[in-house]
Amino acid sequence: MDWIFLSELAINGALTGLLYSLFAIGLVLIYKASSVPNLAQGGLTMVGAYVVLALSHDAGLPLWLAIPLAAVIMFGLGFGIERVALRRLAGRPVVMILMLTLGLDIFLRGTTLAIWGGTSRSMELGVSYEPLFMGDIFISRIHLVGAGVAIGLFVAFMLFFRSRTGIKLRAIADDYMASWSVGISVERGVGLSWALASVVAVAAGVIWGEIQGVDQALSLLLLKGLTVAVLGGLDSILGAVVAGIILGIVENVGSDFLDPLVGGGSRELIVAAVLILTVMIRPHGLFGRHDIERV
Amino acid sequence: MQEKVEAQPILSMNSVEVLYDNVMLAIKGVSIQVPKGEMIALLGSNGAGKSTTLKAISGLLKAERGRVSRGEIKFEGTDITEMLAQTRVEMGICHVIEGRRVFEHLTPDENLTAAAPMGMSRSELNVEKEKIYNYFPRLAERRNSLSGYLSGGEQQMLAIGRALVTQPKLLMLDEPSLGLAPFLVAEIFGILQKINQEDGMSVLLVEQNALAALEIVSQGYLIENGRVVMHGTAEALKSNSDIQEFYLGGGEGTDFHNVKHYSRRKRWLS
Repeated sequence: MDWIFLSELAINGALTGLLYSLFAIGLVLIYKASSVPNLAQGGLTMVGAYVVLALSHDAGLPLWLAIPLAAVIMFGLGFGIERVALRRLAGRPVVMILMLTLGLDIFLRGTTLAIWGGTSRSMELGVSYEPLFMGDIFISRIHLVGAGVAIGLFVAFMLFFRSRTGIKLRAIADDYMASWSVGISVERGVGLSWALASVVAVAAGVIWGEIQGVDQALSLLLLKGLTVAVLGGLDSILGAVVAGIILGIVENVGSDFLDPLVGGGSRELIVAAVLILTVMIRPHGLFGRHDIERV
Repeated sequence: MQEKVEAQPILSMNSVEVLYDNVMLAIKGVSIQVPKGEMIALLGSNGAGKSTTLKAISGLLKAERGRVSRGEIKFEGTDITEMLAQTRVEMGICHVIEGRRVFEHLTPDENLTAAAPMGMSRSELNVEKEKIYNYFPRLAERRNSLSGYLSGGEQQMLAIGRALVTQPKLLMLDEPSLGLAPFLVAEIFGILQKINQEDGMSVLLVEQNALAALEIVSQGYLIENGRVVMHGTAEALKSNSDIQEFYLGGGEGTDFHNVKHYSRRKRWLS
């Protein structure tokens, strides 16, 4: 057993996992404030990346300006989605809202295809591709940057959910009717959660766009992001981070063992297995809230 | 007491009709008045339209696809019939909905924070919280545990406390005694009475437990089949023979009496 190689796999797996977490935090934000799993988070991430590209490459703005500006635009888009689409469905069965988010995802994918076409474009963040050396271990710089962003957002949102606005959002997720009864604006709260998730989508879009190029395939990150969010417990931001690390390591190390046996492609299998097993064995995930039942 | 009765009502509802899904008529021309600073009870059996009446006042009908199709509701002289629920809370109407419905995954302390109006400063909120913990010392003890694990009585206290944070002028409660032991009902009703007397908060209380309710309110309305069928002071209602027979169980108040008279009452009404 080559311990150095194994730890390299584990460390890079953990870093990749944190990038999944970066994506999953957006899912958790919306779930935490409205109890809706947002299937359009992949689409939002892709749009976020395209908006950054449009501002930087097409309009010629520098990246340090383009990214915050894209965040502002996406913040508005998140609010817009609530206003135009979700508000009508408030209080309806979750499955209808779920279908709506799925439709939204397809719509966003189609829109970017119509505007920017389907050719993969590069983000050109300017992060060096020279790997970092930690002893004998290779580490990708862009993964390290992305992991840092994920942890930064994690800390920011942990604090946010203890603020008064954050508590109101958690209250909304608990009980729409009771929230209305004490004057909490459920509509505005859900809108805010979508707006914040859209900002997270910009962060995830930039990092993932740098790693795999900007095209419609970015929206497929949903599968891994959803697996991470479910494993962590859909409403736990800490869960998203821990589960991201776990999934990243399991995927990276596991596929290294399995790939020679099955001839490649075992990554997807591992992710799928984790998702299915979580739902079967521990449906509320590692840190998710239980439904409280008093005896 | 006399001048209170003559003052302008804080809430008046005139021949209000409510439709659910545009077809089902849930209340058919209900008119009630809540004089400022008084406690009023809305009595009646299951499905009589009491909860719908409260939801029409608080604006929560919309969430259940109901709407006021006729009549008007005035709060302190302003027509609120079409206002958003949120605006009505800001104006000073708070509705403690049926079944407690605390935010289960939040602590009692966070439940109170969640209900705080956006304009309330941190220090004001803390003063308000302390006041509520004074009314309900049991909540203070458990302020940092998860609300979903509180007992039924504690949850009801929290639901009331959460409503008080919004600083209502009119507090409406839907069946606060439901499923609670008699000594808890007495405790909660006692606190309601205290809040009413100390702060001059007007209270509209919906109850099936007519016996307990009539002990603390000044007037009561009896609703059956979506209509007000009787209105009078608590004393008058208590001594009314029909009320005694059908709602107070001959003055003994055991549930078995109510069950026995149920079918008879229906015949009497129709």
